Amino acid sequence: MPSWAVLVSQAFNGLALGTLLALVSSGLTIILGTLGVLNFAHGALFAVGAYAAFVILQYTQSFGLAIAIGCAFMLVLGFILERLIRLFYDRPHEDQILVTYGVGIVLVEAVRAGFGGNSQRVPLPSWGQGATQLGFLIYPTYRLQLIAIIAALLLSLYLVLYRTSMGLVVRAGIENPGMVGVLGINVRRAFLLVFAIGVVAVGLAGMLYAPVVAVTPDMGANFMAQSFVVIVLGGLGSFPGAVVGGLLAGEIISLTSAFNSAYSEVMLYALMALLLVLRPQGLFGSEGRV
Amino acid sequence: MKGLRSRAWRAHVPELALLFALVAAPVALPHLGFSHDLLTRVLNWGLIGLGFDILFGLTGLLSFGQAAFYGVGGFVTAYLLVSGKLSSVWLALATGTVAAGLFGLVVGWLAVRRIGIYFTMITLAFGQMAYFIENSPLSNYTGGENGIPGIPVPVLGFGAYAIRISAGLPMYVLFAVVFFAGYVLARRIVRSSVGAILFAIKENTGRVALLGHNVPAYKLTAFVIAALYAGLAGGLLGTFQSYMPPDAFSLETSGQLVVQTIVGGAGTLVGPLAGAAVWLWLRDNLQLIPALASLWKFVLGIAFIVLVIGLRRGVCGEIAHWWNERRNLTALRAAEARTEAIEARSGAVVTEPVAPNIDVALALPAPGGRHRGAGRRRGESRGRRPGRCRSAGRGRPSPECRWRPRAGTPDVRPD
Repeated sequence: MPSWAVLVSQAFNGLALGTLLALVSSGLTIILGTLGVLNFAHGALFAVGAYAAFVILQYTQSFGLAIAIGCAFMLVLGFILERLIRLFYDRPHEDQILVTYGVGIVLVEAVRAGFGGNSQRVPLPSWGQGATQLGFLIYPTYRLQLIAIIAALLLSLYLVLYRTSMGLVVRAGIENPGMVGVLGINVRRAFLLVFAIGVVAVGLAGMLYAPVVAVTPDMGANFMAQSFVVIVLGGLGSFPGAVVGGLLAGEIISLTSAFNSAYSEVMLYALMALLLVLRPQGLFGSEGRV
Repeated sequence: MKGLRSRAWRAHVPELALLFALVAAPVALPHLGFSHDLLTRVLNWGLIGLGFDILFGLTGLLSFGQAAFYGVGGFVTAYLLVSGKLSSVWLALATGTVAAGLFGLVVGWLAVRRIGIYFTMITLAFGQMAYFIENSPLSNYTGGENGIPGIPVPVLGFGAYAIRISAGLPMYVLFAVVFFAGYVLARRIVRSSVGAILFAIKENTGRVALLGHNVPAYKLTAFVIAALYAGLAGGLLGTFQSYMPPDAFSLETSGQLVVQTIVGGAGTLVGPLAGAAVWLWLRDNLQLIPALASLWKFVLGIAFIVLVIGLRRGVCGEIAHWWNERRNLTALRAAEARTEAIEARSGAVVTEPVAPNIDVALALPAPGGRHRGAGRRRGESRGRRPGRCRSAGRGRPSPECRWRPRAGTPDVRPD
């Protein structure tokens, strides 16, 4: 049995990983829910975000500025990619998956061609150095800030989705895109915006996580697989499901590794298998939406 | 009688063509940059592809987790041989294949409950799970990130007459024989009544279910078949390179299989083989060009996107499509000529025997468009399954038979 302090610090690690997974998955889930497209390029976009932070930091030396420029870059990239994905709205899901997978390969290989396959290091921002005394344990400051920043981002995403008229259109689009179109709302434009927001969300996750990990072209692949699990846990196209599922997944991975690190990832997938048997529609999914 | 024999012969054209290609490949292709080892690898990918094509091309289930079964088959075979539990490579291969099939049964049982996007996500997640299980909890057996080295090669015969199948041409021959047997079996599955129902599930799942077929059971069958093929290929990979790498389990492997299948042509069975030839040839030969060394996969990725947008049939699919069009046209011309001949004998009684309209359980619309493998099947079954594609008695195919969906099939959206 691991000690109390280890468990608490792992719980914090789980929170950091969980909020990150929640951000990645919410980007994936709003695209999936609204457009009906499972974005297989999501992992690649995570890596592109991390590399964007790496490059812009070298020129600006300011983490805040790097994030701002990086977001603008991801937004433009999202608009461009939507032009391609648009061709596939009326085609079978398999085709959509294949084309986004192809986009993922191209993005990862473009990054690899530009920066090589070796891992890059992104420095911590000046305001995130050192560790913070939390009474009973000392925890890296940047990770605490990461939790706070992503929580704020998720909150603002929630406000956009649930408190604005644009969010209303998006949520209605998740329920029934055809009906929204019949009501005279430009669904295509809403789709464009949703896709771009999803891309910015995952790009931001990549940028914010870059200082904590080694930045490689393939860094997104495992995140994508985990965020698939999060979506299966949370329910298709459900924003609250993505957030709760993300936190749950992060805690499962971190707390299991406090007991036996060999099983940390396996446990997550085992839970998914269990949920598939007991509650196939996911925690927040409604019956009938397969 | 003569006509019947020629039809029977025609039904086996694909097998004969493949046999010819397998014999000719090691003679002709080394000049084009295909070494015997490369050809063996292509056959190995093609073997997983046979099963995957039954799952994806025929049944329409896109799995991103085939690496799991490839890996299970490979590591079970390798572990049994290296640990000395089994001395016969053949027996170990069979055990590995069965183990992969059992794992496929478990994963498939969970995965076929969901359709479309969910199915793909779940198979991918289980693929990752298998990777992590191999990597950590079972690393005492699998070697973790190091894999299992020192796998013996297969031996043919007994005692003094035993032949060790060494690397190079002998190994190619072994893989070619296994692939050919796998292909004949896969084609039998595709052309069987089970194959017809699997294809019907792809075309219209709801209708198959309404007709009383147990759709999940059929999907599970396809899933297990795909897992068995992948397991056998995994085991063979280990004996071929005498080392079982952990990347067999990686997401990259599953993705590569999907890309190869699309490039070569889904629904053709040999499509994944052709796709593997393109992929591996590009990898080995573009890397020799210094400017392109790091860009070969980038080029392939762009080609893949273009293929998905425009040419969904892939290399083999286009060939099969051209072949079918030509044959349909000939059949149509012959039918029209016969009609004219009958009409010329005005008033004469139509003597052509009217095929009894037996309605088999499935009243399918004639497949067409991009589903090549089944299109060929339809052509061959003409006359044998009269209920399906014949108007009453006249040789001319019914309008339904000539119907072609324009952009794929009507999509039954799950949500």
